Amino acid sequence: MPVAAQKTSDVDLFADEILVDPYPAYARLRELGGAVHLPANDVYALTRYDVIRDALADWETFSSTSIGFNPMVNQALTGTSLASDPPVHTQLRATLTAHLSPRALRGLKEQIDAKADSLVAGLVAKGSFDAIDALARAFPLEVVADLIGFTGHARANMLRWGQAAMQVIGPMNQRTAENFPIAGELYGWCSSVTAEDLAPGSVGRGVFDAEARGDIPANTAGHIIHQYLGAGVDTTIAAIGNVVALFSAHPDQLELVRKNPTLVPAAFNEVLRFWAPVHAWGRRVTRDAEIDGAVVPAGSQVAILFGAGNRDPRHYDNPDAFLVERNPIDHLTFGYGPHGCAGQGLARLEAHAIIDALARRVGRLVVGPETRVPSNITRSIDQLPVIEVVPA
Amino acid sequence: MKILLDRPRCEGHGLCEEAAPGLMHLDDDGELVLDREEVDGDLLAAANVAVRVCPVAALRLT
Repeated sequence: MPVAAQKTSDVDLFADEILVDPYPAYARLRELGGAVHLPANDVYALTRYDVIRDALADWETFSSTSIGFNPMVNQALTGTSLASDPPVHTQLRATLTAHLSPRALRGLKEQIDAKADSLVAGLVAKGSFDAIDALARAFPLEVVADLIGFTGHARANMLRWGQAAMQVIGPMNQRTAENFPIAGELYGWCSSVTAEDLAPGSVGRGVFDAEARGDIPANTAGHIIHQYLGAGVDTTIAAIGNVVALFSAHPDQLELVRKNPTLVPAAFNEVLRFWAPVHAWGRRVTRDAEIDGAVVPAGSQVAILFGAGNRDPRHYDNPDAFLVERNPIDHLTFGYGPHGCAGQGLARLEAHAIIDALARRVGRLVVGPETRVPSNITRSIDQLPVIEVVPA
Repeated sequence: MKILLDRPRCEGHGLCEEAAPGLMHLDDDGELVLDREEVDGDLLAAANVAVRVCPVAALRLT
């Protein structure tokens, strides 16, 4: 029988200072309880590793019909795999991943590795550059644009469309209001895109071919393109920016990967654990849920704090240290279970390629101060000046 | 115990293969093959890790 009183905190998850550096607040909330009521946001925050992982696995109690923190975005996402529950979700997910799963992407590794190596080699030769614009944004934009087959107008707008698609998942604050029109541009473009708008031979063209063959339901191809861009750009940019920032701040950890390149996947897992690109993600509780002895009532909105779970000392020793040899393969950053990140295979291909190229070509990076801009859902670095590259 | 694969859910991420290379592998088409289903002792420990690291919860032990 639940006996514990529900924990409450006055933290506002979407206040500017929390969005820029949420980790002190994560630690306070995690110590209060596994689920903490936040009246400022009208949500229950899930903070501890085991609580988050169990909630992600239990789709019957924690429904995805409310992954966003305002009703408009949840309405807009209705009918997508992101925002649906089994059994409907199962077919939608299969349709989404048919062209995106590691199985579908096998064979792309060489091409992505070559792109990363060429980009990093050019930047090392240049010696100073902005790591976010020149690397963290440039690389995923090129990879995703080539993969989906974006050209012209769509290619030119990928960055702002991708950023806006994440911003509008937040509560109805000024950032969300300002970004709805931009997210609407993306939605509008995806509603009218045709096979001929996408480069021949691309995955995007393949999705339309599948629709034409009847392999996927009619009128779903555009929605799938929408999800590839909406979910796959801003988050990957954040992760690759974090790779550069963390290796710059921890040259000893870069040195470990340089000496032992088999650590590349472990290093990426640790980057994802240490700084999660997604700050908060929603669920709706379908029935009273007992968490750490207290009840989260049916109908409540939940905010899953991946980054708080990833630093839970109940699960990881010395969680606030960045250690590439830790290999935290069970980190929460991609979520888990039926809704586990559908693009994680592509994200790994991209990030492993960049880490491998950096480890081979860079001895050390000397950087200036990083700049962060508050953002509702994606936590990323906005500017990171690399002042000097000490070559390998 | 027995390893069970929910095949429609498996997307071929391959983390299980890295965790338990003696028990399962991805074939040339990226499909997961269970090389051994009944496990105990040390193999059970490896199977538990494989189940744990599957990012889409496509594996379980019964």
